[in-house]
Amino acid sequence: MWRGLWTLVARAARGPRSPRPCTRQGSGAPAPGSGATIFALSSGQGRCGIAVIRTSGPASGQALRSLTAPRDLPPARKACLRLLSDPRSEEPLDHALVLWFPGPQSFTGEDCAEFYVHGGPAVVSGVLQALGSVPGLRPAEAGEFTRRAFAHGKLSLTEVEGLADLIHAETEAQRRQALRQLDGELSHLCRGWAETLTKALAHVEAYIDFGEDDNLEEGVLDQGGSAWGVGGGNIWHLSPQRPPYSLSFPPSTADSEVRELEVALGAHLRDARRGQRLRSGAHVVVAGPPNAGKSSLVNLLSRKPVSIVSPEPGTTRDVLETPVDLAGFPALLSDTAGLREGVGPVEQEGVRRAQKRLEQADLILAVLDASDLASASSCNFLDTVVIPAGAGSPNGSSQRLLLVLNKSDLLPAGGPDPSPDLPPHLLLSCLTGKGLDGFLEALRKELAALCGDPSTGPPLLTRARHQHHLQGCLDALGHYKQAKDLALAAEALRVARGHLTRITGGGGTEEILDIIFRDFCVGK
Amino acid sequence: MFSFRGCGRWVAASLTKQHHPSSRFSGDSAAPWTPHFDVVVIGGGHAGTEAAAAAARCGSRTLLLTHRVDTIGQMSCNPSFGGIGKGHLMREVDALDGLCCRICDQSGVHYKVLNRRKGPAVWGLRAQIDRKLYKQNMQKEILNTPLLTVQEGAVEDLILTEPEPEHTGKYRVSGVVLVDGSTVYAESVVLTTGTFLRGMIVIGLEMHPAGRLGDQPSIGLAQTLEKLGFVVGRLKTGTPPRIAKESINFSILNKQTPDNPSIPFSFINETVWIKPEDQLPCYLTHTNPQVDEIVLENLHLNCHVKETTRGPRYCPSIESKVLRFPNRIHQVWLEPEGMDSDLIYPQGLSVTLPAELQEKMITCIRGLEKAKMIQPGYGVQYDYLDPRQITPSLETHLVQRLFFAGQINGTTGYEEAAAQGVIAGINASLRVRHKPPFVISRTEGYIGVLIDDLTTLGTNEPYRMFTSRAEFRLSLRPDNADSRLTFRGYKEAGCVSQQRYERATWMKSSLEEGISVLKSIEFSSSKWKNLIPEASISSGKSLPLRALDVLKYEEVDIELLAKAVPEPLKEYTKCRELAERLKIEATYESVLFHQQQEIKEVQRDEALQLPKDLDYLTLRDVSLSREVREKLHFSRPQTIGAASRIPGVTPAAIINLLRFVKTTQQRQAAVDRLPKTDQRLCNTDKLEDRQL
Repeated sequence: MWRGLWTLVARAARGPRSPRPCTRQGSGAPAPGSGATIFALSSGQGRCGIAVIRTSGPASGQALRSLTAPRDLPPARKACLRLLSDPRSEEPLDHALVLWFPGPQSFTGEDCAEFYVHGGPAVVSGVLQALGSVPGLRPAEAGEFTRRAFAHGKLSLTEVEGLADLIHAETEAQRRQALRQLDGELSHLCRGWAETLTKALAHVEAYIDFGEDDNLEEGVLDQGGSAWGVGGGNIWHLSPQRPPYSLSFPPSTADSEVRELEVALGAHLRDARRGQRLRSGAHVVVAGPPNAGKSSLVNLLSRKPVSIVSPEPGTTRDVLETPVDLAGFPALLSDTAGLREGVGPVEQEGVRRAQKRLEQADLILAVLDASDLASASSCNFLDTVVIPAGAGSPNGSSQRLLLVLNKSDLLPAGGPDPSPDLPPHLLLSCLTGKGLDGFLEALRKELAALCGDPSTGPPLLTRARHQHHLQGCLDALGHYKQAKDLALAAEALRVARGHLTRITGGGGTEEILDIIFRDFCVGK
Repeated sequence: MFSFRGCGRWVAASLTKQHHPSSRFSGDSAAPWTPHFDVVVIGGGHAGTEAAAAAARCGSRTLLLTHRVDTIGQMSCNPSFGGIGKGHLMREVDALDGLCCRICDQSGVHYKVLNRRKGPAVWGLRAQIDRKLYKQNMQKEILNTPLLTVQEGAVEDLILTEPEPEHTGKYRVSGVVLVDGSTVYAESVVLTTGTFLRGMIVIGLEMHPAGRLGDQPSIGLAQTLEKLGFVVGRLKTGTPPRIAKESINFSILNKQTPDNPSIPFSFINETVWIKPEDQLPCYLTHTNPQVDEIVLENLHLNCHVKETTRGPRYCPSIESKVLRFPNRIHQVWLEPEGMDSDLIYPQGLSVTLPAELQEKMITCIRGLEKAKMIQPGYGVQYDYLDPRQITPSLETHLVQRLFFAGQINGTTGYEEAAAQGVIAGINASLRVRHKPPFVISRTEGYIGVLIDDLTTLGTNEPYRMFTSRAEFRLSLRPDNADSRLTFRGYKEAGCVSQQRYERATWMKSSLEEGISVLKSIEFSSSKWKNLIPEASISSGKSLPLRALDVLKYEEVDIELLAKAVPEPLKEYTKCRELAERLKIEATYESVLFHQQQEIKEVQRDEALQLPKDLDYLTLRDVSLSREVREKLHFSRPQTIGAASRIPGVTPAAIINLLRFVKTTQQRQAAVDRLPKTDQRLCNTDKLEDRQL
């Protein structure tokens, strides 16, 4: 109810005259005066038994209804077991205890909901993402729950004592985290985008404020942009007769810059899953024909007996999952049933599950028996799984595959490569450990590429906040394109820039004026 | 000299030379003959006239002190009013029943709305104004304003007394001392000295003290202010030469014609005084490399350009244009100075070269080959006072009941001056009557943006309004200034006439009714398509469309809608202004919905007032860094909202301040329970409403 102050607080941290925080302009936005609804993971980050996710604000009830299967609210302040599912995909996320606290009898004094979910990072991030998709919800800023509680008189003065410290600490933590994340390419990207947008906005603002009043001069405009004077922007309605006092210069550069920015942002957002993977772990699926030694590999990688190993083909019948730390990257390792046809119904179901898991994998560890490459099941596996993945992915999926030939100890020592015709592969013996170092190094490279190694690869976008603001920016750019009224178009750019500057800082009006007066000779 | 025709009610009294060498003119025949006024306004420029008239409208006996009565309402620089952002300010001045819009509607010679194709939120009302007519009409208005007396005289010093204990400030002003040694007592004083504070005129290498060409500067007053401890800065500006009209070859230049019909500035006018066909054109010409050459070759003869004093970035002299953007051609607008004036104002040619070089430069320009320069361009350097030393009501922190408005606060432009003038005049009057100050928030108007920027951020170049400075630009439009400010002006300040109030009330209720009617009419998109084939309504949408949604389409107006749905919409085509405003409301409806929410949030912070007498430097119980303390001490923000906008004041500092306010409130509540209360404690009662 009193978010203004806190937005101002956040604004003060970034300097004067930052644009106001931008609410998503969706149809389902809450009524005016009610403020946004915030959500956050309230228990600590990382692996834990139970994680608590909280929302506060007028759309809390809506959020609860959207995520829980029975679409009615549970009784107030009573724990209820509910199946949580993603409102967009209907995909189940977790069985969770939910609590509904209608305001004002809640921690913050607003409508609140709490979700007690199983603590795996995948579940938590899934629920957070699902909440982010509910209209009117946004990730909470540092200390925002406490601040709201304070605002609604829910905290006594003594309880508030620590608030400034808390905000300071959390802002610091966020700043450090942001610095860590923003140091390097992501920061470079975001700043670049913010600069582009600021410049585009400055040119539109210059067009509004000085285009007719102060004789923005054509010669100077060539300097300011490359394509001034070329009509073709969608919002600049030029009449055949130029208005007096004006040298109209449709800022078509702004248009084209915005278009380019939209493409870049869109591409980056599609890429953003990489950031999520780092937190929840990449899905690594071990697959292959029966008795190739998949379970042995899983046990080797997880350094514990996860799967039962036997010389008998078809020992593993279900999908077995284990979280592991692979070469420094968190991963979810899945052991699957050997792929073969014409077996009993139980194993057949195992094969079906293995195939489903293969489709969802980020990285497939394809295991073949080096001594048994000519068998029908090996050939079939090569044809159906390895070759298609190796042929690249025409549909743009990012699925990767590492081909491992196990049981190298069974090959004659010093003999020729048993499989010169195969795609690139590694030789390994799970039994003796020979080839393990090479394999781990290859695995590290694959995971690094998959998760985006912060030190070498493209920057990570780990935080839902970033994604939220980038999406908000993209949405606003969409409004810019549709706007028929220049003031509305400029407003959309202001909103878009506001989102970006929430990530990078800055964003004052002075910045815009500086660009205007640098690029244009404004004067009477 | 100004005309006394038609001014029946002023009284010109000849006074005893020894004591009152200056004459006094009063618009109020019943004005008491004693040099004691409620409000004394020093300066008769655009800030001073608005301040004096506003104070008088509020019911205060007011004296306007000026060097010369015949320069009241003088337009010292450009012969035009309004523009983008500036037009917005004027509409707000008008909404508070200020003068400049009404005077412009009687004095323009070329009315033109700028930005017509860029959306109504950024339309800029503008007009070329006849200098002489403006001055005449303004003087007529000022001399006929009840309760307002005008006196000639230069103020040399302020009379200061002990401060009132219930307010902050080191001193209290209680009157002024004129150059001749006479005194005038006043309950409040408004200083609108323009460029006169230690004003210096610069042409070439020559500098001489002057507030304006031909007028003496105010030196004693500047020294007084400095001695009191005000932080003084220096700014510069300039004005172009004037050219004889008959010496210009207009036939080879681009001619620009005014709007037809003319759009009046004032809410209470349906039309302007002059028909479009009788208005004067403007002409456009350009500089050329020869001009650059003359400027560059003679930089050594140009001390104004060399000076380090900050000039505006957006209204540069031809010298700075040539220096900053070399090898360019710059526009020069040839603007009429008035109906029967034989002068032309070359806008864009502000210059401080020696006079003979100015003439040489002018004659290089196309159309001006044979031009005769009547008056050279010149630069002005003047003192201003850091505006962070004043409150949002424009009263100084240091001296109680002393108000500053206009260029003295570091602004430039007639409109910026007028806007501050109205606010200073209203507040000077309210202060005398012990009423709470009248402050406009930046969520309510450009006036609020202007004053908030000045008082929280200060300025180091002449501050000018742009629409890009207003974060709620779509809400703060020229068309709705009356809905935003007229009611507050009427109820809180008493500066709005009954007639204007009633008109604004009618307009507001008609708009609200119109919007709800437009919301209530719903048809399918295909039906709308049939009804209004001119509109490009996409028929794909399954949801019914409201008439308000259809009105959003660019090609649809109320007229067209009313043809499709005559009942009940016919009613709304009768008043042109109402029809236009409904269309504008529809255009921005969806965005305004969201903006309104943000505005409410900002307003909540603005409502959280900080105690005025906080001594931030020594304040204990609040953990604030030295840097933050100094910033707060200098700007003295009045609300949490303003504090949070000061650069360098951290979120944690804001929380600490809030906590302090809360503790203070509890302590004072305890004190309140004691039998004796005083004014200061009463002021904090408002804190109770704050849900902290």
